[in-house]
Amino acid sequence: MTVSSASRPSLVSHVADVNNTNMAATEDQLARLSKVKDIITKASQELKSIEVNREIDLEFDVGNLLVTDKNTLDEEAVYDPDTRPAYLQSLARDGIQALMSKVWDLPSHTEDNAVFVTLPKTTTVLPREKPVPKEKALTKWEQFARDKGLTKKKKDKKVWDHILKRWVPRFGMKKVQADKEKNWVKEVPGNVDPYEDMFAKEKELKRERVAKNEYQRLRNIAKSRKLKVPNVGVTGNDLATSKDLGVAMHHSRFATASKGKFQPTLPNEQVPKGLGKKRKHEQITGDGRAEKKRYMEVLKKVEKNELNLSTAVHKQIREENIEADLAKKGGKKQLRRSKAGGRHRTRSDHRASKLGKGIHESRKQKI
Amino acid sequence: MQRVVKPKNPRAKRALVKREPKIIENTKQCLFLHGKKTGEFMRKCIKDIYALKRQDSKLLQSQDQLLPFEDILPVERLAHEHDASLFAYATHSKKRPNNLILGRMFNHHILDLIELGVDNYLGLEDFKNKKITVGNKPCMVFCGTQFEDLVDYKNLKNILIDFFRGVEATDVRLQGFEHALLFTATDDTIYMRSYKILLKKSGTRIPRVELEEIGPCMDLKIRRTKFASDDLKKKACRQPKHLKIGKKKNQSRDVFGTKLGRIHMTKQDLGQLQTRKMKALKKSSAKAKATNNEASTSTAEPMEVSQE
Repeated sequence: MTVSSASRPSLVSHVADVNNTNMAATEDQLARLSKVKDIITKASQELKSIEVNREIDLEFDVGNLLVTDKNTLDEEAVYDPDTRPAYLQSLARDGIQALMSKVWDLPSHTEDNAVFVTLPKTTTVLPREKPVPKEKALTKWEQFARDKGLTKKKKDKKVWDHILKRWVPRFGMKKVQADKEKNWVKEVPGNVDPYEDMFAKEKELKRERVAKNEYQRLRNIAKSRKLKVPNVGVTGNDLATSKDLGVAMHHSRFATASKGKFQPTLPNEQVPKGLGKKRKHEQITGDGRAEKKRYMEVLKKVEKNELNLSTAVHKQIREENIEADLAKKGGKKQLRRSKAGGRHRTRSDHRASKLGKGIHESRKQKI
Repeated sequence: MQRVVKPKNPRAKRALVKREPKIIENTKQCLFLHGKKTGEFMRKCIKDIYALKRQDSKLLQSQDQLLPFEDILPVERLAHEHDASLFAYATHSKKRPNNLILGRMFNHHILDLIELGVDNYLGLEDFKNKKITVGNKPCMVFCGTQFEDLVDYKNLKNILIDFFRGVEATDVRLQGFEHALLFTATDDTIYMRSYKILLKKSGTRIPRVELEEIGPCMDLKIRRTKFASDDLKKKACRQPKHLKIGKKKNQSRDVFGTKLGRIHMTKQDLGQLQTRKMKALKKSSAKAKATNNEASTSTAEPMEVSQE
């Protein structure tokens, strides 16, 4: 309810001019005027209430609906459990009020009888859940299609079959059944052996096509992961040179469990000898400087006479400790069989093991 | 998707695609765990926080002894199974009473871990009033200078924002601001309070905000922390190029809306500029000019004579 204050004086003057004589009427008017006054003061109070004034301005991340208040808190109000709820609520209220003022100023649009407001981008840097995905390399076909300018054409799920006179799915179980229905008989052409099983041949060809497709899919994956895959000998390549065929033969021979050692050879097949890495031996003749150097290094490692100072010191301390312990406890402890392979444990060792550290840890701490 | 073993049906494929790393990511899922001997207090606490985040979280049954600060692998495994990158683990022991461990993952490996002690807890059922709708995006207020000055508090603020943020929303209904969370930091504790937002009429179009406490309400004390190293943090915060907004330089628009561009040129030798050739300005015709001048002066005299 918005009643402007400007209307009041005009109302008064109007009253003064017109209803001057009628006393009862003016009293009624005055009562109404006082009511109007109350409403105006109340409205002005409420108007002030959306303002939020703080020493240090609040910081906003509207995208995350986040308000940061950097002002110093009233420590007493916070620590006292009686005043705490009210004080915290006031802090929250101010923050949310300021945020709402920001939100209401954002561009809005109406949809389905509701007013929506578009939030800006978030400013707080939050870590991602997973790393940024790497760009996928195009497969061989995709590259070819892009170069040639081919576009993907959406295919229908069902195809009209004019032989069966019905809609048959393009792929799947029902398609296979329909194909069986259609191909119940197969023509044998003149140049083919009449006793050959044409249906089996067709099945074999299908298996080869499926295998080829699978190989190409795996080859694409290997390429994207920068692995090498043999080019020849896996799929039937009609344009292979004699060298390629030789390589293919080698691959097919080598790709057995025993690396082609027990593979029977075909008639007229020449198995290449000497394949693989040759072991390089050192020169027997010539100057023996490299050989001498090698042997001297080995000798050094074997006959180490270097003094390891820290080990020596630890050893000495250990021996001293053992002596001291034995002196304290007398000779009895010597006869007692230690559980851990006869090694003597000192008091400090026991203490260390209690603390959860191993014996070796305690040794390290000695110096 | 390039996998050696292809998924056998579209449902499996969809599940795998959902878990792949993406440019614009899914909302972070949260896993709520508790130990075997947690006690009613902590179990209530974890259930209440779960209620706040129900849309994007899973509450699992009691777990066998998990010690995130000693051995994080079982937690990582659980999180990987449920594709969750946030987790909250509640325990209670004599040494660490009312313990709440908050953690977050990057690429299924732990990023940050923080252990908090819960005090003065009041749950959702302790506040007898109508609550908010489930899955509401909360407005968060962080009070106190500690959140800017101290490293532990700074990291905790980041973790809390990540935890309670909810969906990364682009459009919000103006009536949809229902939930407010307040985190106030003092030297030793962080006070967490949760309110329901009531929008009242004010004289203007911006409403007056009134709050009503609905819970849960708790006082948290930081116990142990294990934050990520700087380079891991940097790696995790790396944003994809698509989302980065590049500044458009050397372009501006004037008052009339015309697009103006700015070109940067190398220094030009003005003496060597190729301009239009004015024959009159050529040095060879200077003599001709001189004769013309003499001619003009000679004609001046008869003019003067005529005037006179």
